[in-house]
Amino acid sequence: MSMPRRKFIKNACIAFAAQAFFRGANAWAQSSDYDFYFTRLSYESGDWEVDERMPANVLNSLIEYTSLRVDIKERIIPLSDPAMLNAPFCYMAGHRLVQFSDAEAQNFKQYVENGGFVFVDDCNHDIDGMFAKTFEAQMRSLFGEDALQKIPNDHPIYSAFFTFDGPPRTSIELNGWGDDLVHNYLKAIIVNGKIAVLYSNKDLGCEWDYDFRNKRWLKEDNTKFAVNIVLYAMTA
Amino acid sequence: MTIITEQHAKKLLSKVLTFSKADECECNLESKVGGNIRYARNTVSTSGQESDLILIVQSTFGKRTGTATINEFDDASLEKVVRRSEELAKLAPENEEFMPVFGKQKYAKANTYFESTADVTPEDRAQAAFDSIEPSKKNKLIAAGFLEDAVEMSAIMNSKGLFAYNTATQVDFSVTIRTEDGKGSGWASGDYSDVKLLDTAKLSSIAIQKSKGSADAKEMEPGKYTVILEPAASVGLIQNMMRAFDQRSADEGRSFLSNKVAKGSKGENAPKNKLGQKMFDERVHIHSDPQHAIAPSAPFAGNGYPLNKIDWIKDGTIKNMPNSPYWAKHTKSDYIPANRNFIMDGGDQSLEDMLKNTRRGVLVTRLWYIRGLDPQTLLYTGLTRDGTFYIENGKIKYPIKNFRFNESPIIMLNNIEALGEPQRIEGCMIPPMKIRDFTFSSLSDAV
Repeated sequence: MSMPRRKFIKNACIAFAAQAFFRGANAWAQSSDYDFYFTRLSYESGDWEVDERMPANVLNSLIEYTSLRVDIKERIIPLSDPAMLNAPFCYMAGHRLVQFSDAEAQNFKQYVENGGFVFVDDCNHDIDGMFAKTFEAQMRSLFGEDALQKIPNDHPIYSAFFTFDGPPRTSIELNGWGDDLVHNYLKAIIVNGKIAVLYSNKDLGCEWDYDFRNKRWLKEDNTKFAVNIVLYAMTA
Repeated sequence: MTIITEQHAKKLLSKVLTFSKADECECNLESKVGGNIRYARNTVSTSGQESDLILIVQSTFGKRTGTATINEFDDASLEKVVRRSEELAKLAPENEEFMPVFGKQKYAKANTYFESTADVTPEDRAQAAFDSIEPSKKNKLIAAGFLEDAVEMSAIMNSKGLFAYNTATQVDFSVTIRTEDGKGSGWASGDYSDVKLLDTAKLSSIAIQKSKGSADAKEMEPGKYTVILEPAASVGLIQNMMRAFDQRSADEGRSFLSNKVAKGSKGENAPKNKLGQKMFDERVHIHSDPQHAIAPSAPFAGNGYPLNKIDWIKDGTIKNMPNSPYWAKHTKSDYIPANRNFIMDGGDQSLEDMLKNTRRGVLVTRLWYIRGLDPQTLLYTGLTRDGTFYIENGKIKYPIKNFRFNESPIIMLNNIEALGEPQRIEGCMIPPMKIRDFTFSSLSDAV
């Protein structure tokens, strides 16, 4: 049986402690009160500070539906900071250019290859948008030409907590205007049989970015799929 | 042709009823007399006059109803249309939800008729078009517009003694003014009961300003923005919401006002709709008022039932929902006819005041091509058009490319930052609104 990701990262973290900044090691010590904390990666080239209420809504759902001990404060860590190597889960999003600096590229690669989990969301929800084109190019340069692949819609991530038959449809995809905005798949980079980079062109961050008081107007809580992503990241 | 007077209508409809052999008979007389002028490429292209009179006869035997219409008014024709409606009634299946027609009713005084509008001449229309075309030409822009004025008459009489008569005047004007290269576009509209309030030069100057200001639009990323919606931008979403207010749709679980009972809970006695529930920001107050000075409407519905002032939403709470006479009886509630003119209260801020207080946002002139996506959450999609601008630190900075939006008026009316002074638009009174987190889902290449 494979080692759960959190343990894996904790072990990996000890190995990396030598090269990690003190702040990073300290962060893990502090976070041991929690099973999960939400890390947003900031990066130099683009607009990473998007969908600012999305983490709060996701954390709220984790508390509502699971027994995870959750730190309710989002942590923003630069991708270039080795402290990110300790995070059990990272989120990265934007509309604009993705072009990693050397330090960012090194950390991203190291984190992914050592059992980390990054959820990357294209805020343009557009396969021809700047974010999509440049992020995909960045992944090819780090992990090889065919590293990013569509995952099947019966992948374990779709049944990690709630059951879905593929990525749930977003409100934007209801338009049906054929403007290339409907994505009935997610892509991923698989490392050791598990998703290490989950990549969405669906703009899920925007879908989950709203005043929490407005959740009651939804027919169904649309953040349920976020619970699956986190649970998969923590247990796969 | 002139508008039929109340006396004339009464005489004509009484005669129609004398031909009836049905258990119940109800007739509607509808007339419209008006004129219009259309211009494009800074030139008047059509000028028209229209007059129409139609008689609608509805006959009922037991629970079978038939309807026939005619626009000939000699005695033989009147008898012919009554017979035709009776023949159709006999062929019709029984209506299990049949409700009898209403008896005699009392109506409030109407203030829907303005002599000034009834007296509009072709010369007046030509002048109104000139006042729009001339400044457009001077600014090297291209105007296209349409002006229509009309006097409408509506009379109802039935075999139970009901008689209602009303005349209403209406003038509608809209103009699109574009730059010669077609890259900039501005739009303005005005609709009034009293033509004296219409100033096509003033409205055109707004469209001119927007046209010049909207060329060379910059692209902005889709996402959630604070928006200032001019009344023409929010009216479509509000009207769609009010059209979805029907009690029966809610009671039968088909609308955003259906009261969903949690799965597994014992909900047999739970209310079926959201009447009395707070659903919106407490500043939201939407009502109808046939006597409204600027946006009046006839004091009776199409079935002759009186229309009076009524709250639909007060302090953000659902106060009343329209229904049909059958559904009112079925649910043991009062019959509440729908009303098409909505008055939404606002504040006293002007559009300029709202702009001044905006750090970062988008000014939307209007939304168009609005289509429903989900009746349960009232999610709509559509496009901005004819003047979309980026606001920074209280000033319009530059024009931006049009967006497609995905938004629900429920969410919109929970995200109110400020409301301005209501203006008449499409027969309603709607304030400009400053709304946070308005969802723009993608960019549009349309001008």
